[in-house]
Amino acid sequence: MALNLKQYSEMLKENSVQVVYSGPIWSNGIASMADMLIKRLEYDDMPFRASQAVFSVFVEQINNMMMYTAEKEVRAEGNSDPKEMPMGIFVLGIKENNYFIQTGNLVSNANAEILKSRIDHLNSLDKESLRKYHKTKVREEDNNKDSKGAGLGLIVLARQTRSPMKYEFVRHDDEHQYFSLYLDIR
Amino acid sequence: MPFRMEKERTVATPYLLIDEEKNYMKLEGRCFDESMGLFFKEILDWLDIYLETDFGEFTFDNATEYFNSSTTKLLLKMLLKMDKYASDTKKIIVNWITIEENEIMVECGEDFMEELENIEFNIVIVD
Repeated sequence: MALNLKQYSEMLKENSVQVVYSGPIWSNGIASMADMLIKRLEYDDMPFRASQAVFSVFVEQINNMMMYTAEKEVRAEGNSDPKEMPMGIFVLGIKENNYFIQTGNLVSNANAEILKSRIDHLNSLDKESLRKYHKTKVREEDNNKDSKGAGLGLIVLARQTRSPMKYEFVRHDDEHQYFSLYLDIR
Repeated sequence: MPFRMEKERTVATPYLLIDEEKNYMKLEGRCFDESMGLFFKEILDWLDIYLETDFGEFTFDNATEYFNSSTTKLLLKMLLKMDKYASDTKKIIVNWITIEENEIMVECGEDFMEELENIEFNIVIVD
C-alpha cells in the first residue's frame, strides 16, 4: 500500500510543519538544503533577525547531527572514497508566528549522556552568560583539535532560542537512544 | 609580482579578494562549508609571508553576513595573527561591515574587538 499522502500532508499541516527532510545528511547536501531554506525564508518575508536565527540554528543543528549521530550509511560521494553518511530527520515549522526546528537522530548511550549534560547546562544560563561562555569557547577550542567544534554549535543553538531547548531520549536498543530536539527560534 | 587572489562566492563559501598591490583583503557572503578550514588555511599561509613584509598599511573589509561556529574560530585565529603583527609601522585596519539587524554579526564583532589590542577595529553599520 502506498503512503497516504493526503493524510500525511494533513498531519504536517496540523502540526504547523513547513519543511521536512529525512535521510542522509552530507556536506554538499547541506549547501543545497541551506539554499532552499534561504529562498523559503525570503518567500515567507520574515524579518532579517528571525531568518538569520533560523538559518544559524539550521546549520549548527545539522552539523551537530552529523557529529553525534550513530546511524550512518556508507556511500561514495562523486569520485571520492566512500564516506559515512549520518542519517536523521529535520523539521521546520511556524507556530503562532514563530519558527521552530525539530530534529531526530540515533545516538550512542555515551553521546546521549554528553548531550544531556551539555543541554541542561546551557539551559541554565541567561543571555549574557551564554554570550560570555560562547566567547570563552571560541578561544579555547582553538587549542583543542579533537573537539571538532563540538559544544560550540550547541551554544549557538542556546543563544538563538527563545525558551529552553527541549529534548527527549527514547531507548532504541542496549547501546542506542533516539534523540529528539525541539528548538523555539527567537 | 604582488600576489592577487580572487574567489567567487558560492552558497556556502564567501567571495574573497586578496590584492597585495593595494594592501587589501575582502570577504563577503556566507561561510559554512565543510571546506572553510582549507579556505582559511590558504589565507593564513599568505598572511604568514605578507605580514613579514613592510606593507605600511593593510585593510581587511569583512562583509560576511553569516558564518558557522567552526568558521568563527578560524576568523578569530586569523585576526589574532594580524593583531600580533600590527604596530605603528605596520598599521592594520579591520572594517567589520554589517547591517544593524544582523545582531549575530554585530555581537560577534564586539566580542572579537575585545580580543584584539593592536588592530584598528571598526564596526561599520551600513543600511
